[in-house]
Amino acid sequence: MSRSTDSLVLGGRPVARRFGAINLRGLAQMYTREMVRGFKIWGITLAAPTVRALLFASVFGLAIDRPDVTMGGLAFMEFLLPGLVAVAALERAFQSSAFSIVYDKTEGIFTDLAMLPLTPGEIVLGYAAASVSAALIVGAIVWAALLPVGGALPQAPLVLAFFVAAGALMVGLFSQITGLWARKWDYLESVQTFIFLPFVFLSGVFFSIDELSAAAQPFARANPVFYIVDGIRFSITGQADADPWTGAAVCFGFIVVLWVVVYRLFAAGYRMKS
Amino acid sequence: METTEPSRHAGAPRVREFGHVNWRGVWTLYHREVKRFLKVFTQTIAAPVVTTLLFYTIFSVALENRVGSVGTVSFVVFLAPGLIMMTILQNSFANTSSSIMVSKVQGNIVDVLMPPISPLEMMCAYIAGGVTRGMIVAAAATTVMLFLVDLPFANPPAIVFFAVTASVMLALLGMIGGIWAEKFDHMAAITNFVIVPLSFLSGTFYSIERLPETWQYVAQFNPFFYAIDGFRYGFIGQGDAGFWLGAAVMLGMDMLLFLIVHRMLATGYKLKS
Repeated sequence: MSRSTDSLVLGGRPVARRFGAINLRGLAQMYTREMVRGFKIWGITLAAPTVRALLFASVFGLAIDRPDVTMGGLAFMEFLLPGLVAVAALERAFQSSAFSIVYDKTEGIFTDLAMLPLTPGEIVLGYAAASVSAALIVGAIVWAALLPVGGALPQAPLVLAFFVAAGALMVGLFSQITGLWARKWDYLESVQTFIFLPFVFLSGVFFSIDELSAAAQPFARANPVFYIVDGIRFSITGQADADPWTGAAVCFGFIVVLWVVVYRLFAAGYRMKS
Repeated sequence: METTEPSRHAGAPRVREFGHVNWRGVWTLYHREVKRFLKVFTQTIAAPVVTTLLFYTIFSVALENRVGSVGTVSFVVFLAPGLIMMTILQNSFANTSSSIMVSKVQGNIVDVLMPPISPLEMMCAYIAGGVTRGMIVAAAATTVMLFLVDLPFANPPAIVFFAVTASVMLALLGMIGGIWAEKFDHMAAITNFVIVPLSFLSGTFYSIERLPETWQYVAQFNPFFYAIDGFRYGFIGQGDAGFWLGAAVMLGMDMLLFLIVHRMLATGYKLKS
């Protein structure tokens, strides 16, 4: 009965529990919770994006009436399939933290997070790590599912992993901001439909941005998702619209800015302690 | 005292009487159904229009110059009616299914089951709610499309006929889904694995003739195909299936589903048990 509480009492006096520089156990707990929560409903988190990617592949495949149709210097399907992998991975990253946070809010248990012996930095890291792992898992599964319909082995697997992870981290951090801001599910759905989806769909998943009019070009190149999709396509096919190093730098810049913002929000207790 | 006990004056309390149809009850439920989606119109009207527009953009930018004409019309003219019909299908389904689902989860479904309203009246109100949402979204999406595509209106009555019958079909399917599903996961599964694939693979983006022969045969059994094909026929004056066959399939499906839903409501399947 009392043994477990006694373990904190040394020399007759209670002492605070101590951690190293990072509360690794707490971080691992939080990471595990996020992963279990995401993949418990694997029908929605794994099967649904796979089905959707296959649907997009089939409707584009069927709509194209000649075999020699190209896009951005590649056969059309060669161009499209890496983009579909990117969409699936980024969608998972977006839906990870935000949905988890809003779920906790509606259940009234979100403030529990503020009471844990976790620093704001550790909380951000826990959510971000779960977003990135989930995106890598979904990306890998969708990529494998697309192999029989014309998918290709990546030419640079490490670069592929880098861009999926960097993209998932960027979107995952954005997802944390969205989750903190959202008071209800409606808010989340709005951000998804009016911000996330347009950024992703118009990022060059389905067409090379060279197809856009000259006036639209600067906007397309200002979209950070473009660099992620382009990087993922580069690592699979070796063909890119932009320089991959530029892409990596853009991703890095956005990640730093978003990380600082999310950290500040958690540290200030935005819509959590207020 | 007097106002709360009016029936005392006439002696024994009396049962309130209706004519053959409880018009007020039907109207009230319909009104609730419409207010339910209008209150969150950014999600229920603006979001589908934006999504339709996004689909139009990606398919037209990617394929407009790469795919020749489909039949006698250009790819975008072929595409636009299909996209509008897709959004009708998805929104009519979403309206009835989410309404019943939310009522079940929140426990206020009894408020719909208790009033003096027959199963037939109840389903008419739900269907009318789903059709209203479908038509509002369709009108909004069509208006936006007109800025982008030069859509002919070859046969307006056919456009309206297929829009309404398809909307009724999906409102009924939504009721079946809403009654059957026990959790939001079930609902998401129906949407992701049934409704979306059926609407994607039913000829929105390509003519059914593009399919291999066996799949063409299979596609003929997909009622969504007739909805999209007939609706497109109304705009461009040509279709894969022909007007009469399409109209017969739509009316037949509507009647069949109507009987099924009526049976479910009359027996109280999963609602009263």
